[in-house]
Amino acid sequence: MRAASLLLLAAVVADLPLSADVGQSSDAGQSSHHGGGYKIVQWEWSYVQTPYVIAIWLLMASVAKILFHFSQRLSSVVPESCVLILLGLVLGGVVLVASQKPLYQLDPGLFFLFLLPTIVADAGYFMPSRLFFENLGPILMYAVLGTLWNAFCTGLCLYGMKAADVIGPDVEAGMMEFLLFGALISAVDPVAVLAVFEEVQVNETLFIIVFGESLLNDAVTVVLYKVYISFVEVGVENVQIADYFKGLASFLIVSLGGTLVGLIFGMILAFVTRFTKKVRIIEPLFVLLLVYLAYLTAELFSLSAILSMIFCGIGCNKYVEANISQKSRTTVKYTMKTLASIAETIIFIFLGISAMDKSNWAWDSGLISCTLIFILVFRAMGVIMQTWLLNRFRLVPLDGIDQVVMSYGGLRGAVAFALVALLDQDQVKAKDYFVATTIVVIFFTVMFQGLTIKPLVKWLKVPQSTNHKPTINEEIHERAFDHTLTAVEDIAGLSGYHHWRDKWEQFDKKFLSKLLMRKSVYRKAELWEVYQKINLRNAITIIDQGGNVFSAARLSLPSIASRPSFPEVRDMTNYLRENGSGVCLDLPAVYPVLGPTMDEESETHNVLTGNLYKPRQRVQAHYSRHFMTTGESERQEREVFQRNMRGRLELFKSTCYRSKSRHRKIQKRRKGSDISERDGSDKPMRKVSWQDTAAVAVDCEEGKSEKAEPVKEGDGGITFVARESDELPRERPRSVPAALEVCGSPPVVTSGERPLPWKGSGGALFVCVSMEATKLIPVDLQQAWNQSMSSLESLAPPPPEPLHPRVTALCREEGVPAGGRGGGAGGGPGRKQEGAQSPEQQEMQPLLPPPPPPPLPPVPLAQGMEGRGPSCSGSPCIITRSLVTAPPPGGEEPSGGTTQL
Amino acid sequence: MGALMSGHGKHEFQELSDKTGFSLPQIANLHQRFKQLSQNEDTLRREDFNKIADLACNPIRAQIIETFFDKRNYRQNTSGKMEEIGFEEFVTVMTHFKPPDLHMTDEKKEALRKEKLRFLFNMHDTDNSGTIDLEEYRHVVEELLSQGGMMEMETAKSIANSAMLDVATITMGQMAPDEFYAGITFEHFVQILKEFDVELRMHIRFSNMGPVANCCK
Repeated sequence: MRAASLLLLAAVVADLPLSADVGQSSDAGQSSHHGGGYKIVQWEWSYVQTPYVIAIWLLMASVAKILFHFSQRLSSVVPESCVLILLGLVLGGVVLVASQKPLYQLDPGLFFLFLLPTIVADAGYFMPSRLFFENLGPILMYAVLGTLWNAFCTGLCLYGMKAADVIGPDVEAGMMEFLLFGALISAVDPVAVLAVFEEVQVNETLFIIVFGESLLNDAVTVVLYKVYISFVEVGVENVQIADYFKGLASFLIVSLGGTLVGLIFGMILAFVTRFTKKVRIIEPLFVLLLVYLAYLTAELFSLSAILSMIFCGIGCNKYVEANISQKSRTTVKYTMKTLASIAETIIFIFLGISAMDKSNWAWDSGLISCTLIFILVFRAMGVIMQTWLLNRFRLVPLDGIDQVVMSYGGLRGAVAFALVALLDQDQVKAKDYFVATTIVVIFFTVMFQGLTIKPLVKWLKVPQSTNHKPTINEEIHERAFDHTLTAVEDIAGLSGYHHWRDKWEQFDKKFLSKLLMRKSVYRKAELWEVYQKINLRNAITIIDQGGNVFSAARLSLPSIASRPSFPEVRDMTNYLRENGSGVCLDLPAVYPVLGPTMDEESETHNVLTGNLYKPRQRVQAHYSRHFMTTGESERQEREVFQRNMRGRLELFKSTCYRSKSRHRKIQKRRKGSDISERDGSDKPMRKVSWQDTAAVAVDCEEGKSEKAEPVKEGDGGITFVARESDELPRERPRSVPAALEVCGSPPVVTSGERPLPWKGSGGALFVCVSMEATKLIPVDLQQAWNQSMSSLESLAPPPPEPLHPRVTALCREEGVPAGGRGGGAGGGPGRKQEGAQSPEQQEMQPLLPPPPPPPLPPVPLAQGMEGRGPSCSGSPCIITRSLVTAPPPGGEEPSGGTTQL
Repeated sequence: MGALMSGHGKHEFQELSDKTGFSLPQIANLHQRFKQLSQNEDTLRREDFNKIADLACNPIRAQIIETFFDKRNYRQNTSGKMEEIGFEEFVTVMTHFKPPDLHMTDEKKEALRKEKLRFLFNMHDTDNSGTIDLEEYRHVVEELLSQGGMMEMETAKSIANSAMLDVATITMGQMAPDEFYAGITFEHFVQILKEFDVELRMHIRFSNMGPVANCCK
């Protein structure tokens, strides 16, 4: 499949250059044609050629990525960058064959002005700043010392090899040229490192050291490159001692200047975003533009542009993220990631294409093999020596495995290629050889090392990153922990890392944040922000998993409230209720229930929600380039309310008039139609379990009373408590062990069930209705709500007959002889419910007549529905759950089909 | 300096060094600091700690200061509070913040981790009840938030509540409705912080230089 698509792509590319020629010829022909009259359709290839080709490439690369990730095995072994380079090779080959001349080259200008900054911006803006600064020492050391070491050693040794005639005589280069080459080939490349390491997922310290080094060595590379170029220009013999010092000064200015420019732009950016409240839509633009301007400005003064951009990103991130809106945050994130991905794709494809272009490279095996060996050897030596030095000061040392990964992860990439392509052929005679060597080195490091680093990491058992998102507890303790360490340092009278970090945080709090953050944001404590974020993240997770935020919020309440001994529960519940804006959820309560039955349940849930909970589309003629729509939540609440009311009415009707729509599933599996009918009408009754009592007993008294809803405490008819479950074994010794289990250990089942709104197909409808109705009634709708409540009550009288079998069954459970009637009547679900009910006779007593049962009084049922609706939010779903799990009660239900809903 | 050392001769320092694992210069450093804090007395009191300028803006300073007076942290299986502490106690509490050994076996690492977590746990469990109950937890959150200044108690409460609930759900799994979560026990504390490499991070760099090089404010 992949091969086929590649062929196809190749065919497309093969077309392009050819058609380019066609385009040019038609261009030429156009003037002559022009006199001939108006042409309806014109071939405008030359006009669209460049963007068209690039777009097609990107498309192909993206399709290739899709195909590549289809194969799980392949994508777990091969890094994406390898695939892209291969694709570039193929494309380049095709282009070369088709047009016989190189059309596309990685142009250094394009690379440095557009492609590199997009990747660096992404890296800088999303750099984990704390981790970065904690490891700043090692990073700087590897970036500066390591790069210098590599550059000098590689250059000098290559010169030595040249002197020893290992490198062919065609390579016309002196010491300066080799040093220059050593400088550009020795720098670890951020693009390659990022591409490979993102997939390897080593632990974060290791990653930040290698990645930080690859970013920060830019200053060294740039300066060395420039210094050597100028030395090559003036000639080695004319270089004076002073020039070396100038080089050193230049390094300081380039690196520090770049950093400074970046920080200034970062501050400007943070300051600007303070005032974008009215123009949210251009917030992302500001971020992207100013970060890019930081890069360009540094280039303008020939400072280190990468450093500038990195520090702009690191510096502004905290304030900008706090200032801009959530949507802008998402936009910035995705824009940056997309752009970076595009740039990376283009770079690797260009690399592949450039490699196929033989016209500007020349092969020298000696040079290439020496270079490969030297960069590997010196990288390893450099890492080992520096780590040894560092470990003398590090409290947590970098061990041998880390060093292996660091040496092996020193990938070279497109920066080196762009730099070598920038060389002047007239000054550096051996440019072609250098180009070829650079390409080979890049291919070797990206392809070979990139391919093997993953198995290596696995084999060495390098601790991998867990990608763990901290919980609220971890955040709290993290902060307490930081303060503890600071305090101990202060007490011990030491001015260590924590001391200074704390000093910086206080400075930041007092001045920087005040200046750079919006007032509203500044007032909020950081922990609160984190808390909000975690809650939001959890909420999103829940929704993604098919949950319902509202229901989750509501459902969580009883779980707390039902622990009456918890001293502070009341505040909590009230707090959640008052501020239950969907953010203050007790979501973790939902987590542990992701059992194996999840799939089918969520399927059922999806079916239900699909039909239930789709707000009508509103045609809103709203368009603005500058403003976002607001006030949606209000509309939603209305919508929800209306929906609920309608749903509720319909549900109730269907219950009363035995409309089977809700119970189709049950019916399908039932043999006797009367059973299903009875069951259908039973529904409201069955929607109660012992769980309800827990919820109602506590919850109603405490909190619900403040709601306008009339809470009917007297809905005894449906409030059953499985208090004396030990009675059950006596009564039903043989028939229903599983049902017993359900009833006998109610807490286990239900506490797990409660948070899952989709538990049970039949009940879910009801759950939605009741919960949201309680929660979401705006004050102005209160009256309407009350009215519909009363109308519901008038609707209430249910047909009495359907209850008979149930009641009889109940009697049977009690030990009362049920008679023949009960035979097929106690349908599985009903039975199970009864299990819960039977011990609880107090409330049902009036409803339990002897075998020929009188019509059930309608009122309790209606009450049951009414009362439960608003008050016992989470419970109904639980009952249906118990329906699902229990087997048919003994021989009474020979079909056995009833157990499945 | 000689005068300072006179109270504690080389011999005592050597003993302390053997006991705590600090090097002699480190002990000398700490001793100098101790004398500085106590104004040349032999014991330290809470007021002395409260005078440390850098500590003034630390939101949880009260709890940290308490740890120095808490017998549970003296590695002697005792509990209770001290009113004033001597140099030995001071150093013993400091040992909890020693950098880890480079080559530890896994069991040792685990033991060290438990020990450090126990220290943190004791810090939050102010009444030595064996659990961090909601009241104590809320107190921590309030203190952490107090830095912002503008936060009302409600916020702290809600954060602490939800964090507590989080602990309950993580550690207890499904709770029956009539159960209630009394507080974070040490086992639960270990459990919720299992992603937190406390053994690698809970340390500060004690100066190895002589006391003179390290003169402080």
